[in-house]
Amino acid sequence: MDAHVAQLQMQYRNYILSLYQQGFLDDQFTELKSLQDDGSPDFVAEVLSLFFDDCVKLVGNMARALDQTGTVDFCQVGANVHQLKGSSSSVGAKRVKGLCINFKELCEAKNYEGCVRCLQQVDIEYKTLKAKLQDMFNLEKQIVQAGGIVPQVDIN
Amino acid sequence: MTVEQDFEAVDQFPVGMRVLAVDDDQTCLRILETLLHRCQYHVTTTDSAQTALELLRENKNKFDLVISDVDMPDMDGFKLLELVGLEMDLPVIMLSAHSDPKYVMKGVKHGACDYLLKPVRIEELKNIWQHVVRKSKFKKMKSIVIHDESSQGNSDQNGVKANRKRKDQFEEVEEEDEERGNENDDPTAQKKPRVLWTRELHNKFLAAVDHLGVEKAQPKKILDLMNVDKLTRENVASHLQKFRSALKKITNEANQQASMAAIDSHFMQMSSLKGLGGFHHQRQIPLGSGQFHGGAATMRHYPLGRLNSFGGVFPHVSSSLPRNHNDGGGYILQGMPIPPLDDLHINNNNKAFPGFSSQQSSLMVAPNNQLVLQGHQQSSYPSLNPGLSPHFEINKRLEDWSNALLSTNIPQSDVHSKPDALEWNHFCNSDAAQAGFIDPLQMKQQPANNLGPMTDAQRLRSSNPNEGLFVGQQKLENDTMPSNAGSLDDIVNSMMPKEQSQAEFFEGDLGFGWHNSSLRTCI
Repeated sequence: MDAHVAQLQMQYRNYILSLYQQGFLDDQFTELKSLQDDGSPDFVAEVLSLFFDDCVKLVGNMARALDQTGTVDFCQVGANVHQLKGSSSSVGAKRVKGLCINFKELCEAKNYEGCVRCLQQVDIEYKTLKAKLQDMFNLEKQIVQAGGIVPQVDIN
Repeated sequence: MTVEQDFEAVDQFPVGMRVLAVDDDQTCLRILETLLHRCQYHVTTTDSAQTALELLRENKNKFDLVISDVDMPDMDGFKLLELVGLEMDLPVIMLSAHSDPKYVMKGVKHGACDYLLKPVRIEELKNIWQHVVRKSKFKKMKSIVIHDESSQGNSDQNGVKANRKRKDQFEEVEEEDEERGNENDDPTAQKKPRVLWTRELHNKFLAAVDHLGVEKAQPKKILDLMNVDKLTRENVASHLQKFRSALKKITNEANQQASMAAIDSHFMQMSSLKGLGGFHHQRQIPLGSGQFHGGAATMRHYPLGRLNSFGGVFPHVSSSLPRNHNDGGGYILQGMPIPPLDDLHINNNNKAFPGFSSQQSSLMVAPNNQLVLQGHQQSSYPSLNPGLSPHFEINKRLEDWSNALLSTNIPQSDVHSKPDALEWNHFCNSDAAQAGFIDPLQMKQQPANNLGPMTDAQRLRSSNPNEGLFVGQQKLENDTMPSNAGSLDDIVNSMMPKEQSQAEFFEGDLGFGWHNSSLRTCI
């Protein structure tokens, strides 16, 4: 049992580290994790849930805005991007945030093609992140179920 | 809040400091809430600026500090900032993902105590309580000082003179702070806190002075007319002193310019000093119509703008057009053809001269109009009219100025060449801040349209999609979801079917109710 737990914990640690190394997550995510305690054990999960809800909403808005057959309202797209940038930076979604920065510039330049492509990338990116974090939470659950505690991962 | 309560609260402070957090982004709001809780503050959250205002208006003593996002759909964060500062005088901290310095500047100018960039870190929040302490300390010192003042000094003059120097120094520091946008606002650097002469307070002051007459106005009477709680005679006295000295300063300086415009055009018509009487007379005639002719017309903007500051503008006009109407405001408006109220209102929107209240204008205008008629009846050198004697002194002084001016040949030049803005700002300390934030309140009417697409777009998220906010949007709204089928979503969906199914599965609680099979070994 202990070996199993240890193995899971090792797996978990490596997984988290890889997420950071691959640029999916940044320091802000660490901050978020540090805010989670016994008083709010699901804090990170809650916040990320909200974040991904936001993503769906904002990407949807942007898709609609860019889908207009008439003139595209780049200001509106830009506003949504700005919002997404704010929330992604707050949760530590590094890649999403990075894309938002590019996206913003494309909006300002009113580069339609660029915006469409960027939006697709954003869509892919947040969904990828979502899946990865799902896996992470899953691992946590496994560890707990196996009787162990979720280790604090020290990011160097 | 009594002083005693303050002391009690200080014991635990900053623990339990009551913060109102406003952000339409639920992710950020949730994080902010947790961070604030971690700092041991008491937190109330709302995602709507409107709700925030209502909460604050309900009971301004319920909160110590407000943190607000800048970009919100229902109200611009800067506007909320202004309103909170104006109505409740609470410290407000701005929050934004915009790191552009111009936004920071805007926040500071609108009176924000601080401007934080997203993502907010807990270290930054741990120190925000200092803004509350600063503000309350300032208020406390103020109230203590007011008590001190009322026990000092007997006569107005003594009190005023004694306090004047200190207050001047104080005011200078204050004004600098204002112009820097409260960045370095530190009460301990100031010699003595004083009553904050807000726009409203100042307007009351002006109204009272106007009613009594600048020369004749006495602090006690002004105080009575103003009828403001906790305002002492000494406060009024010193304010009056500054008012008068600023008037004088400006009049003296503006004379040179005023003369260029007005004197020049009229001077030519005169051959002698005696003609000044005729000059007066002439000037009176157009007054009814509110028309200046000649170069004086160019001054109209300038003086009127000044009126917005505190009605002291007209002297430099009147220097060339000595007295026509007389009362406190009349002194100020002497010789100035009173434009119809509409004009004054128009100037309200003039960016450089905000804050002029219609109430004040009517106060100024009405009596003057009456006096204009009186003026008209004068046929000779009018300043000696006993009916208008309270202002004889003023008239005399003005005439002296005029005489001095007439004796020199001053070439005509644009009055606007020397804005005097600094003078006024120095006098009316709150002016700078007011100019800063009152503008946007009015100017926002237009930019609101520019912001429209953004804010409306955000509104779209939450509101009825069928509202059809823009022409462009109309099509969007009518099409809504179906239109997506043919484009972006399709592309996305086709690329990532697996992702999507997992994403859907992901809805709701994260980390619960999953299948082990979904675990991927992608390490």
